[in-house]
Amino acid sequence: MADIILQDVRNRIIKGISMEIRDGELLVLVGPSGAGKTTLLNVIAGLFPYEGRIAVDGQCVNGYPPCNRPIGYLFQDLLLFPHMSVAKNIHTGLERLVLKKHERDERIDQMMALFHLTSLADRLPDQLSGGEKQRVALARALIAFPKILLLDEPFSSLDFRTSRYLRLQLKRIQSQLRLTMLAVTHNLEEARDLGDRIGVLTEGRLEQIGSVREIILEGGPFEGGFLEKANMIPCTWKESLGNGLVRVQWAGGHLFVPEDGGEAFERVAIHPRHVYISPYSPPGPRVNRFQGRITEIRHVGGMACVDVEVGDQEIYAQMTTEQAEALSLSFGDPVYGILKLRELHGC
Amino acid sequence: MNRLFWFPVIVLFFFTAGVLAALFFRLSPAEIIAALGSEETLFALRLSLITSVVSTLLSLILGVPTGYMLARTQFPGKTILDTFLDIPLVITPLIAGVGLLFLFGQGMLGEPLGQWGIHILFTPWGAFLAQTFVACPIVMRSSQAAFERTGPRYEWAAATLGFRPWKVFFRISLPLARQGILAGTILGWTRAMGEFGATLMVAGAIRFKTETLPTAIYLNISSGELGTALSCAWVLMATGFFLLLSLRLIRQAPRPEMFPSR
Repeated sequence: MADIILQDVRNRIIKGISMEIRDGELLVLVGPSGAGKTTLLNVIAGLFPYEGRIAVDGQCVNGYPPCNRPIGYLFQDLLLFPHMSVAKNIHTGLERLVLKKHERDERIDQMMALFHLTSLADRLPDQLSGGEKQRVALARALIAFPKILLLDEPFSSLDFRTSRYLRLQLKRIQSQLRLTMLAVTHNLEEARDLGDRIGVLTEGRLEQIGSVREIILEGGPFEGGFLEKANMIPCTWKESLGNGLVRVQWAGGHLFVPEDGGEAFERVAIHPRHVYISPYSPPGPRVNRFQGRITEIRHVGGMACVDVEVGDQEIYAQMTTEQAEALSLSFGDPVYGILKLRELHGC
Repeated sequence: MNRLFWFPVIVLFFFTAGVLAALFFRLSPAEIIAALGSEETLFALRLSLITSVVSTLLSLILGVPTGYMLARTQFPGKTILDTFLDIPLVITPLIAGVGLLFLFGQGMLGEPLGQWGIHILFTPWGAFLAQTFVACPIVMRSSQAAFERTGPRYEWAAATLGFRPWKVFFRISLPLARQGILAGTILGWTRAMGEFGATLMVAGAIRFKTETLPTAIYLNISSGELGTALSCAWVLMATGFFLLLSLRLIRQAPRPEMFPSR
């Protein structure tokens, strides 16, 4: 594996990015839509023109066409060749290597076994489920052991369970094989699960870069940009309920949080899009509810960001502008809210 | 669905059926069968098949890469070139034939080609050229549409896997666009088989020399020999029908989902 260095890389969308992805690490860049995440990956892969310098393993790859860059790429829409079977799709990943036929077959068998694809070898991509397609694309991208693997929103459109399972599997393979990877995502949770380090990309600029703890858990660098309004709720640990949940106390009352690793925590993180608010008291069990008052409503690119004062705390909720209009939300209104249990993370 | 919509359908059906019946019942089946086996019909059929197949192959060689180029690249003046290449589709074949006649006649390309022993005008080569001229834009447009439909992203994926541009084209782009290209090929072939106006100008209408099926119909109608003319017409119509039917079947065939949702 190898490191990759970007020096003042820029084009129409990327505004001068310099960074290093270290040998064997998984760096995740997070940012909202339009931040230039995919463009940056396309630039590194050599698909889009750019200025500046990109070096892989100390060697400048400027001017190299994509086929000559030692870089693998897992596209967001996977791009499995629809006219080829699973085995043939994976076989295309060996294009760069000069191998004898039995060595190729052996390598394909190994990858299919590693990603549990052996029984699907003869199927066409449109006969596979979302998770299976994802595994085929990963196997194809990894089979030639590229010096670096780029991943574009790798698990964003999969269901929660499949996404979580594949994230853990990818992380395990990455650690085992010490692969160097650069992933981009808009999903903070995905970044937290995958990343050794996290960078924040907004409007084509790399705003921050640091360890997972620095960027997500310690809350310090949440200045400006995409992560500004992530909820980090201070809380007091009460008890473990023994059923995979812990009970904590916060300004809004009791809160049940999934037990993650069993360590005590002092803060609970939740993305604003998983905070649901309404002027009416919602039906159903009174778990993870709160009451508060709207202090601000901002409209950004079709989304409404609503700040709610709960005791001495502020909670941020996010919804589409249409949803906010349908709920007739306005400044100063009292609202009821729910924090989605599955999306709460102790930290 | 309102029943009134059946009215134009029925009118169209009987219009087409009336024309076909008029052609079919003009002569007795015995006379048609005798004419089908005549030397002249068989010559016209053989020449039409050879020239149309070769011109369709040349149209593929020229039209598919041109369609790919137009689908994938942007350059100054592309709109003008794009429109220019459509001209053979909109000018009448007669004018195309006159243009080919002048281009390959004395004073232009005819002399240098003649020095090499190549004579285009009033030979089967003329028929082949005229057919290529009209079939090529059809193949090119179908290919371009097919390449535009698949988009460049699969090619990007192949490039990042290490495929060089030629291999990307042959292993990824062509197979993904194959249905559109095949449909264009069939349409181009049908058009080449039926080509008459331009062929008449460039190849002339010489019995047993440049006599394609449409030329044979023209010659035999002119000389009152209805049997050969109608048998040639029937061969042409039957070929066209089966080619169009195969085109329908290709279009109905299930194709791999290009951009499946995950």
